[in-house]
Amino acid sequence: MAAQPDRWDLEVDVVAIGSGLGGITAAIVAHDRGKRVCVLEKAPRMGGLSGYGGGEVYCPNGRHMAEIGVEDSDEATRAYFDFLAAGFNHPELTDKLVASYRSAIDYLETEAGVQWVPVKGLPDYYYPDAPGSNTGRYLSVALFDGNSLGEWQQKSWQASPHLPPALTHREMYDWGGLGNVTQWDYELLAERIGNDQRAMGAGMMGYLLKAALVDRGITGYTEAPVRELVAQEGVVIGVRAEREGRDFFVRARDGVVLAVGGYDHNPDMAAMFENMHEWNSSTQPYFHGDHLVMAGELGAAIAAVPPTNLGMFFGYNIPGEEHEGVPLYRSSWECGCPHAIWVNRAGKRFCDESFYKDSQPALRSWNGHAQAQENIPPFLIFDQNYRDRYPLGSFTPGMDFPPELVTQADTPRELAEKLGIEAETFEQTIAHYNEYAAQGKDPDFGSGHYPWTQRLAGDMSFENPNVGPLDKAPYYGVKLVPVGVGINSHGLRTDTHARVMHLRGHPIPGLYAVGNSAALLDLGGGYQSGTSNMRAITWGFIAGQHLAAGS
Amino acid sequence: MAETEYSTTTELPVETVWAFVSEMDQWATMLTGYKTHEKQSQTDSLWTLKGDLGILQRTVQFRVHVTDWSGPARVAFELEGVNEVLEGSGEFLLTAADAPPDAARSRSGPIVRLMARILRFFHGLVHGRVEREAEAGRNPGAGGSRLSFRLRVDPGGPMAPMVNKLMEPAMLVAAENLCGRIIAHLEGGSAPGPNQA
Ligand SMILES: Cc1cc2nc3c(=O)[nH]c(=O)nc-3n(C[C@H](O)[C@H](O)[C@H](O)COP(=O)(O)OP(=O)(O)OC[C@H]3O[C@@H](n4cnc5c(N)ncnc54)[C@H](O)[C@@H]3O)c2cc1C
Repeated sequence: MAAQPDRWDLEVDVVAIGSGLGGITAAIVAHDRGKRVCVLEKAPRMGGLSGYGGGEVYCPNGRHMAEIGVEDSDEATRAYFDFLAAGFNHPELTDKLVASYRSAIDYLETEAGVQWVPVKGLPDYYYPDAPGSNTGRYLSVALFDGNSLGEWQQKSWQASPHLPPALTHREMYDWGGLGNVTQWDYELLAERIGNDQRAMGAGMMGYLLKAALVDRGITGYTEAPVRELVAQEGVVIGVRAEREGRDFFVRARDGVVLAVGGYDHNPDMAAMFENMHEWNSSTQPYFHGDHLVMAGELGAAIAAVPPTNLGMFFGYNIPGEEHEGVPLYRSSWECGCPHAIWVNRAGKRFCDESFYKDSQPALRSWNGHAQAQENIPPFLIFDQNYRDRYPLGSFTPGMDFPPELVTQADTPRELAEKLGIEAETFEQTIAHYNEYAAQGKDPDFGSGHYPWTQRLAGDMSFENPNVGPLDKAPYYGVKLVPVGVGINSHGLRTDTHARVMHLRGHPIPGLYAVGNSAALLDLGGGYQSGTSNMRAITWGFIAGQHLAAGS
Repeated sequence: MAETEYSTTTELPVETVWAFVSEMDQWATMLTGYKTHEKQSQTDSLWTLKGDLGILQRTVQFRVHVTDWSGPARVAFELEGVNEVLEGSGEFLLTAADAPPDAARSRSGPIVRLMARILRFFHGLVHGRVEREAEAGRNPGAGGSRLSFRLRVDPGGPMAPMVNKLMEPAMLVAAENLCGRIIAHLEGGSAPGPNQA
């Protein structure tokens, strides 16, 4: 923690640390209530992981659902949130989230010009089984014109390596989902890229950055990492950032919002908090757990939800692929397509591979006799049927796989031997899986059960979009590694005003945490696409309001 | 298909520039994203570069085959990805500064094509053609020369149109940088700086 400097380099009312959804929403709301605001961003571009992700925002019973003819209710919404939470949430935080998200999302539309579009027909993860589940609850944005960002056009994320640039959610599903990726209209996407039309997370953050930095003229600095909080008698009164190689002290008369995401690029923290021997990440390399360090110095409490919430995918790095100077890790979605499964070293399947909410907890399974995580590493296995139709990361059919990544063999047995998998069991696993897969069935793990996995990642031309036999040589295998998506199990404990809580149970005056920096105690033990963005917007909105009200 | 062109002028005579560009070892490290290159014969070489798609960078290996070598005016080349579906071609033209830019085209030269292919690699497939010319405030007198690069790259696969567009900005910058570095080196005598990304 830094001492108060002799001289402040800048004096404002509110400092937002981090330029993702949480920080920018808080900045806009505080500004609109008369506060002078400054946004400090570590990365060379504004927008955060929010501008790098899918940009789906979960908004049940929202005003746009009428446009697509779907009925919803607050009761159903709450029932679904309780189902997701599985008792691991703090109900007062869930209450506040559920009571506030629509106002927050609507505010960005009416006051900040965000053009929300409902994603017709896309179901909740657990639809139709879970109480209160529904379809059509997701919002995404209409294409955003990057040219309207002026000086921020080049200093914001224009697209993500994880998602096709300039493609809207509606198109992604209408064009057949990930299972039909080779057939999408890339001529149209090229034209849009040339015009800097942005979609998904980059488009969403385009609207927000324009509202904050261009329309409102809020002060913002990139490449300005905040290193320490400045506090006086336990009250946060500013920050020490770095700019152009020098200390940059910013006074925050009303308070500071920590909106710096999680700790995916802090290997010690990630391995310790997520209970993994190894950690890689699909996020940009700017997430080091700075919120835990900076607030920790002031006695902040850390809280956790079960790692089943989200935290971890499994995936791979294509040799030679990098982003922002670090290896680019991709989450493996291949098993959403037919003709692909996961097995462990024993040669057995262990989950519904098409549904990551089932595969993630299964990966953590602990064998008490063997004293080991029995399903780690998992191996992605597919055959030539898969290869003929679907991509592996950026490798579309017909492109050679790098041998360092993909092992190839003429028979399942040979493949197992090459990968170090128990060969006999593996052969039996394939034979057993194929017997049912030929009829579009997976009696062991129920792959293809959920409309969400079918629609997002499956091949809708199949009777079961997520299932198909592995019966055409050659066979292929990829050893997978943990890949974080920036949504971690541990974060700062916050109250219903988004204030950071001290270990002794009282809020730390002048300090707020939102988005992934705040523990997911509002969601508890489960996750649903779009809730990460939804809670970043909502808690940013709440923090901005509370700060402006003169906390 | 992506196509880019960049040209610049110098007061140095054509022969001086040719003496430098006709030997790839002299300028190889001036290529943005350069990692390695290996001469396999008079006409063939193997290159490893880190290409920039804007949203990600990918290390790519490709073979370059010089198809035309007409010193001191033109080198033309073709390129082909080793593990990638990628092909292209290019040329490297040298003319008197006051000659029309196409003056050397009638003479063939493999280095030009080599350069063009490299540039295409950077830009990826682009619909249409990107042309830029930089005079950099120079006013070459008689005896000066114009150095031009043209590059065309065709990545394969269904996503090619999109990949082209993503490669285009970096490919253009790479072309500018390569020409600029060569001329700056020759004019100022500075060592070719390694610029591995
Ligand atoms: C591929 C992918 C797709 C996704 N798709 C979706 C989706 O469709 N829907 C959804 O809800 N969620 C999605 N997510 C997750 C979602 O993007 C994030 O959880 C969410 O955007 C987090 O918002 P945030 O405000 O907490 O932080 P971020 O948007 O991550 O912003 C934090 C910012 O803080 C900056 N920072 C870090 N440390 C400092 C420091 N010391 N000083 C200054 N700045 C600092 C970072 O550089 C970053 O810009 C996806 C994630 C990934 C990886």
